Amino acid sequence: MFYIVTAFHTEAKPIIEHFGLKKITRPCRFQVFVGDNIVLVESGMSIVASAAATSFLLTEFGAGTRDVALNVGVCGAKEKSLKKGDAILCHKIINHDTKRAFYPDIIVKHAMKEGVLETFSSPVDKGEYSESRIEGDVVDMEGAGFFEAASFFLPPHKIHCVKVVYDYLDGERVDPVRVWEYIRGNIPLIENLMTCYNVLDEWCPEFFDEEEPEIVREISRGLKLSVTMTYQLKFMVRSYMARHKREPEALKEFLNVKVSSKNEGKIYFERIKEILSH
Amino acid sequence: MKGLKKYSVIKSFSHIYVEEGVMDHPVTREIIGKFPGAVKIGIKHYKDVFCRPRQNFIVQEMSRKLILARKKGEIIYSGPEVCQDFGNKNFYYTSPILNCIYGCEYCYLRGMYPSANIVVFVNIEDYFKEVENLLKQQPVYLCLSYDTDLLAMERIVPFTSRWIVHASDKRDLIIEIRTKSANYSAIRQLPPAGNIILAWTLSPSEVIEKYEQKTPSLELRLKSIKKAADDGWKVRLCFDPVLYFENWQRAYDYLINQTFATIQPEKIYDASIGVFRISRDYLKRMRKIASASEIIFYPYEERNGIYSYPEELKEEILEYVFGLVRKYLPTEKIFI
Repeated sequence: MFYIVTAFHTEAKPIIEHFGLKKITRPCRFQVFVGDNIVLVESGMSIVASAAATSFLLTEFGAGTRDVALNVGVCGAKEKSLKKGDAILCHKIINHDTKRAFYPDIIVKHAMKEGVLETFSSPVDKGEYSESRIEGDVVDMEGAGFFEAASFFLPPHKIHCVKVVYDYLDGERVDPVRVWEYIRGNIPLIENLMTCYNVLDEWCPEFFDEEEPEIVREISRGLKLSVTMTYQLKFMVRSYMARHKREPEALKEFLNVKVSSKNEGKIYFERIKEILSH
Repeated sequence: MKGLKKYSVIKSFSHIYVEEGVMDHPVTREIIGKFPGAVKIGIKHYKDVFCRPRQNFIVQEMSRKLILARKKGEIIYSGPEVCQDFGNKNFYYTSPILNCIYGCEYCYLRGMYPSANIVVFVNIEDYFKEVENLLKQQPVYLCLSYDTDLLAMERIVPFTSRWIVHASDKRDLIIEIRTKSANYSAIRQLPPAGNIILAWTLSPSEVIEKYEQKTPSLELRLKSIKKAADDGWKVRLCFDPVLYFENWQRAYDYLINQTFATIQPEKIYDASIGVFRISRDYLKRMRKIASASEIIFYPYEERNGIYSYPEELKEEILEYVFGLVRKYLPTEKIFI
């Protein structure tokens, strides 16, 4: 699943249109749009708003380690070496207020430029701010909040800020049409990044830890196993599968067993331990 | 599968993280000069990148990044109990680099570090100073290449050469540089030093193909060893870890016969034999990340916080491999 966080509807609109996302109709604190394998939330402006919306989204939809979170939006660039409309994949995100820096792992291929994003609590105008006080190549008001919040849920190679250069921190008025055009123009690059993640996930082995396999759940229920015993069973099954490269067929005979007491369950559990130790 | 990976994953060392304090260090400049296309990212402390929560070691192994940093605090450590001291007193080890480019499936580094990225401590001069301070108190036996493969990294950062040059005139210092690489050519220009031991880890081809996939083949390793031994270096052979698998006896028969058919036994300084062993905490972490590794999920037995084969099997393996090596080397040159 791809979780996309934007600040404003003008940034979200081209993504919603491109992927055919539909607005969730149930009451919700944030505007959420869903589609095939994509969920998008509009956070509103500020570090805290972005962090709140990101946490909400990843909790509400039960994000796991196989999912990806993207913060997409416009930004201001410090230097004119970056052109308006350029998409920047940020390899370092600095919270200007706390000076805390976050580092996504850039593992998958992409066709964007890379740079450092610095997130401020208020709009930055180069006329009022000396350039030396700006550490980032690009500046926004959400990225660090998004990244810090997403880091509680996902590994660092699954969290990215994609920022599209809108102005040069010169206080230019935001034109919704131009924002739409800039984001729309970079959707192929964002989609390419997403495709690479899909390919990576096909290649990566399934992480068994995330959820119990069905057979473990069923047997645990039927044998009235304790939490500890269920955990042991899960480990034994995983261990068996790693050693034999197949599921333990002999376990299937325990699927229909329903015990009437925990003691009876323990007797079956010992038998299972013996079977899985080979 | 390889095609899929090639399609989606950036090649290793595409990004180099550099601590602010070492930006201008000559070793930093030397390394960066070798990767002109890499993206350089400034960091405050290497742990800001290396110790991030929830990193995926297996995914990072596909596209390792370099982290250049300054080692602060303790630099040289007492030799760990699970490692062989080869009869040396004052056994120490140090880690100029954290992590290894090879990523062997059974390697404890997968359980030891939170990240697969490679940290190079560029301040090698501080390591040298620390060794000199230690040498003022006592002779030192120092192992350099436990938490990395230093010789395998030689083309990226020539620490092996620098250590050899630095240590070669220090009488009270014995250095062991352990490797699986076939990169002897990178240090061949140096004159052999009597206090430097080049130690090669050797495994049967079956093990290399299955669990040490990124390492050089047995043949290439043996060629390197032969050249080093013929040039007059002290060469140590490490049959460690010896692994238990179907037909292991036959595999180790072949390995040891092949080794001594290639290298004259009298040119070998000594050898070590050790079965697979790993600390409880490392194994626990490795089992979390290595979802389908038969070697990691073997039902090892725990003794004093260390997991290894059941005692009887361990003894059988050690005795068998010792018997094979004993055909070529005198007992006093074999360490278990």
